[in-house]
Amino acid sequence: MRKVLPFVAALIVANLFSFFAMAQDITIKGNVKNATTNENVSSISIMIKGSSEGTYTDDKGNFAITTRRPLPLELELTGVGFESQKVKVTSVDQPIQVNVKTSIALGQEVVVSATRTPSRILESPVSIERISNTAIRNSAAANYYDIVANMKGVDMISSSLTFKTPTTRGFAGSGNTRFNQIVVGMDNQAPGLNFSVGSVIGLNELDVESMELLPGASSALYGSGGMNGTLIINSKNPFKYQGLSFQIKEGILGLTDPTPYHNANVRWAQKVNQRFAYKIGVEYINAKDWQGDDYRNYKRFGTSGQIVPGTRETDPNYDGMNVYGDETSTNIKSILNLIGTQAPFLQGFINTLPAEMLVSRTGYRENEVVSPTTYNLKLSGALHYKITKGIEASLTAYWGNGNTVYTGSNRYSFRDLKMGQYKLELNHKNWFLRGYTTQENAGESHNLTVTTQLINEAWKPSGGTTGWFVNYSQAYLAQRLAGKTDFDAHTAARSIVDVGRPVPRSDEFKAIYDQVRLKPIPLGGLLLDRTDLWVGEGQYNFSDAVKFAEILIGGNYKQYILNSEGTLFGDKAGSPIKINEFGSYIQVSKNLFNDVLRLTASGRYDKNQNFNGRFTPRVTALIRAAKDHNIRFSYQTAYRFPSNQQQWIDLFTGNGRLIGTVKELWDKYNMTSNPVYAAESLISGNPEVVPYTAGKPESVASYEIGYKSLIARKLLVDVYGYWSQYEDFLSRRDVAQKKDPAGGFDLANIDGYSIVVNAPGKVKAYGWGASLEYILAANFVVSGNISSDILDDVPANFRADFNSPKYRSNLTLANTAFGEEQRLGFSVSWRWQEGFYYQSDFASGDLPSISTVDAQLSYRVKKSLFKIGASNLLDSRYRNGLGNATIGGMYYLSYGYNIF
Amino acid sequence: MSPINRINKIPLLLLTGLFFLTSCNKDLPKAIPIVPPANGVTPTLATLLDDPSFSILKAAVVKAGLLDELADPTLRFTVFAPDNNALIASGISMDAVNALPAASIIGLISYHIIPQVVTTATIPTSFPNLQYPSILNPAPAVSPLLRLTTFPSKRGNFAWVNNIPIIAAEVTAVNGVLHKVARAVAPPTQFLWQRIVADPNLGYLEAAIIRADSGAPAATSLVGYLQNIGANFTVFAPTDAAFKATLTGAIYVGLLPLVTQQLMGAGYTAAQAAAAAPGIALPQATALASTPDVFKNPALFSALKAETIKGIVVYHVLGSRAFSVNLPTAATNVLTLLNTGPGLANHPGVSVQATFGPAGVTAATVKGLGNQTAANIQINPTPAPGGTSDQHYLNGVLHVINQVLLPQ
Repeated sequence: MRKVLPFVAALIVANLFSFFAMAQDITIKGNVKNATTNENVSSISIMIKGSSEGTYTDDKGNFAITTRRPLPLELELTGVGFESQKVKVTSVDQPIQVNVKTSIALGQEVVVSATRTPSRILESPVSIERISNTAIRNSAAANYYDIVANMKGVDMISSSLTFKTPTTRGFAGSGNTRFNQIVVGMDNQAPGLNFSVGSVIGLNELDVESMELLPGASSALYGSGGMNGTLIINSKNPFKYQGLSFQIKEGILGLTDPTPYHNANVRWAQKVNQRFAYKIGVEYINAKDWQGDDYRNYKRFGTSGQIVPGTRETDPNYDGMNVYGDETSTNIKSILNLIGTQAPFLQGFINTLPAEMLVSRTGYRENEVVSPTTYNLKLSGALHYKITKGIEASLTAYWGNGNTVYTGSNRYSFRDLKMGQYKLELNHKNWFLRGYTTQENAGESHNLTVTTQLINEAWKPSGGTTGWFVNYSQAYLAQRLAGKTDFDAHTAARSIVDVGRPVPRSDEFKAIYDQVRLKPIPLGGLLLDRTDLWVGEGQYNFSDAVKFAEILIGGNYKQYILNSEGTLFGDKAGSPIKINEFGSYIQVSKNLFNDVLRLTASGRYDKNQNFNGRFTPRVTALIRAAKDHNIRFSYQTAYRFPSNQQQWIDLFTGNGRLIGTVKELWDKYNMTSNPVYAAESLISGNPEVVPYTAGKPESVASYEIGYKSLIARKLLVDVYGYWSQYEDFLSRRDVAQKKDPAGGFDLANIDGYSIVVNAPGKVKAYGWGASLEYILAANFVVSGNISSDILDDVPANFRADFNSPKYRSNLTLANTAFGEEQRLGFSVSWRWQEGFYYQSDFASGDLPSISTVDAQLSYRVKKSLFKIGASNLLDSRYRNGLGNATIGGMYYLSYGYNIF
Repeated sequence: MSPINRINKIPLLLLTGLFFLTSCNKDLPKAIPIVPPANGVTPTLATLLDDPSFSILKAAVVKAGLLDELADPTLRFTVFAPDNNALIASGISMDAVNALPAASIIGLISYHIIPQVVTTATIPTSFPNLQYPSILNPAPAVSPLLRLTTFPSKRGNFAWVNNIPIIAAEVTAVNGVLHKVARAVAPPTQFLWQRIVADPNLGYLEAAIIRADSGAPAATSLVGYLQNIGANFTVFAPTDAAFKATLTGAIYVGLLPLVTQQLMGAGYTAAQAAAAAPGIALPQATALASTPDVFKNPALFSALKAETIKGIVVYHVLGSRAFSVNLPTAATNVLTLLNTGPGLANHPGVSVQATFGPAGVTAATVKGLGNQTAANIQINPTPAPGGTSDQHYLNGVLHVINQVLLPQ
């Protein structure tokens, strides 16, 4: 008993002591400088050891922490690109001065998206790639989206200068619905258009803190979509990244006929006090866009086709890939036969002509209808408020507006596209709660094919007894009767009937063009779309409450409001269609065998009102074979509900009508009482009825094994291999319905439809990737990767649109700081992808291999960063998708201030 | 030690490697033009006419302004070329070429040129004939697509254009083919109806056609069709004598029971009436049928119904053009316009046959289903007004025959 008492007394005294200490606030002030350059360093994290209290240095390198903890204290300083340091604080009388040393540390970065909890990238249980703000700063790419293409296993589709779509593990395309982009916690997909517009309307480059790329199936944590991967882009918190930053980039596109490129970025963030901080940002791009200039002849069969020889001058039925309006085509033999019945003395001659004489209307080239001037304005702002020390509330807004070009089943000119995302979020170490909405407005966006077809019709209708085709047929016949050959007669006939055709860029053309593009489809080419998305989601991490394992639960609710006034979807003006979706997930992680094995199991359940519920599990195992040698195994599943367009589209495209999978649309066109027939069965002459089948979500199950290790702190190795099986692929199929059910299957009596179907059978995909990153002397880092994706067991006649090269590789040599006072930085990267057969709704054909070099050299003095750079240094022109813009070199000079 | 010296050599090597590697981007694939077969240079149809035996034809082609077209290697024609002898035999000497107005020469020459390549091998052997438009537009103001047509045909080793024999193997030029023909191929200038009206020996046919048309709107009348450039007929035209004989018989058959009944009404016994009636009916029938006005006689309207007359008239018309050389050597049934009538699709039509001698068709017959014997085509292919076979008009060919064809 006597022994106990002093102990209790000591405890009480200690408590009293700490009570008094807590009652007394102290403020530690200090400044952080770069040990080599003696410049102030911002955004260095300063934590009081053993607590969760901390702050960041501001743009002048200064910091201040107010705490009730007693001296002496130890501060831990960490920052990207700097060695960690510990500093003892024994007195607060004088500001403390800390000098940090630059360093390159491989594999130390922390990623969140792999498990929704922070972990070292070296210990991620699934494949993940991370791009830090340092990497962005030192990259030669003109746009941070382009850097993603340097990661292993990534394919990039460029529809135009400002429209980049990254993808992993196949199925690349402008409107990729199998790859999610989540920007600051919000799905970046334009809800009505069904493609991510991150590079058009997303983060200002100066506000990007990091990008995390999850290749492979990731529905288990992120929900519908993400069958092939997820890209997560995080922004810079204004508490950490403060002050004024700006960057001006001036450049040219192309070496032959160069056009100017202007890009300006501004970010301003201020920490007003310990609780409140805000940021605002603006980015503006103005340039002459790359344009589609593939004038090869494309022979269409419904939604597929092939490249064939021929030009406008040499093929009467020419249909150029990036030439629009020439999709309108007819067999003039039937018109000639009508002429023959009126002029029987010519019938004998007409009979000697071939049965099929397809002639297309004269189209307009992309550069004749789309203004190359592209602009892109991104505005962003966020208010952050710490309600308590642990809970941070934020209100975030992103709004973007711009012109760009997109490749879907046709090329679309997006003019004055607007999209806003607004989010309210509460964040705690263990949980978050957020609600956001995406507000989309397609502006004056229009379908180039439909628009140009209607321009032709407005100038001279195709049909009718005085129509273009009848005039053409008469002119052709007259030329033949004057002795001209078939070839010359076609040429002469076209020049005769095209007399007076509106000349591109003329006032007459502009008047017709403006009239047509501003009328909604089908009377014009306008895509009227004001679809909205509303989302609420939350997550709770029970790690503080439950100790035997780490448990995480979360859930979300989504509502899409499809509003196209009947021009895109099967909605009506004033009564938009609502689609509700909800989902929830749980994840349990446990370390076993002295942390050698970490097992994680997650499961997610989602339900869309139009489809059956879906459960997607994921199991991962991480074996820490030795320090910094980790082997990962995972079984992941993912699924995708048919996109909003696949559910509800009701769009006449000029060749036929695209309809979604919901029964309401089949009923709208009486497709049950007046059945539809498979197009291929009509061609073969054995009409086969296609009954209504409810659409199902498509799904994928994927197995992956990977190994990541850091050898001698100098070499980072990452390899993976995966094997996936896809099921119930969502695809389209061409069918035809008789106008008059009593009539026959002649072309005049059928309407074409393209319906959504789940393809039968299972399709396998497999691949691998490997990367090495090695630190050389003097801060030089060389890195390289190679990866491969292969699709197998594709059913006959099924177009998978896999669009992935068998092999691709990247090689980069970079140095973030070298030379005198480490003022210089540079990087050179080379990217190569093998050629492959590209498939899409727009066009299919061989895509040649692509090889590009990006390079930059930068010079830093104080807070200024001068950079000279080039992407595609050798200006070697390429297209990374059929029908897409032809990309050349881009050369720029930039000046940046306070780029962190 | 300067910084650059500290740099490992590996990066420099890598850098050089990068530029080496990237130089392998190929040029973007471009649209490939479809190249039409190249045109040869010589001989052209124009140079073929340099042969001295074609000097009159060449002079005519030059006068018609068509030599440039025949010399154009990018155009394609078939030329039916009569040599000097053939033209002179057709009455077209060099003097005539010089004397005739250009318009006439253009018409004549244009009809010898068809704007497609018809080799001997591709000349059709089938019946009916196919129309091959020439470059001759008889009325450009009416339609730029109007063309007079020619009728190349082939039977065994013989070939013709219309009824003019092709007399030598074809000659191929880079821009077409040349067929040497035995005579000038004269373009028709009149409609069938004009011949029928003008020919004093076809008065009954004219009257019968008018009678057949009674009540029909002009556009769909037979007279209308016989003056329509779009029509394509063969008319077997019975002479007035043939009509007279047939009509006399028909009226007599119709009158006989009437006369017999009248006689019995006047007190004759049946036997007496039957004996006396022919003597009365025959002169009456002969008198009634003595002029083409027989078709206008209201008293006979019930006996010679318009519909019946129309049936008989259209039974003389084929919906295609058959020159005598196109007729088969063995009797063969061909359909007539009668088959277009309601319920008459299966009528066997008329049976036609031609006999060929060394100089062409020497005899030809056509037989109606209701005729005891076949009618003879009166072979005489000389031009109107004297000619009676292969008479060529804008919208058909006419053969005079010596019987009315009876469909039943």
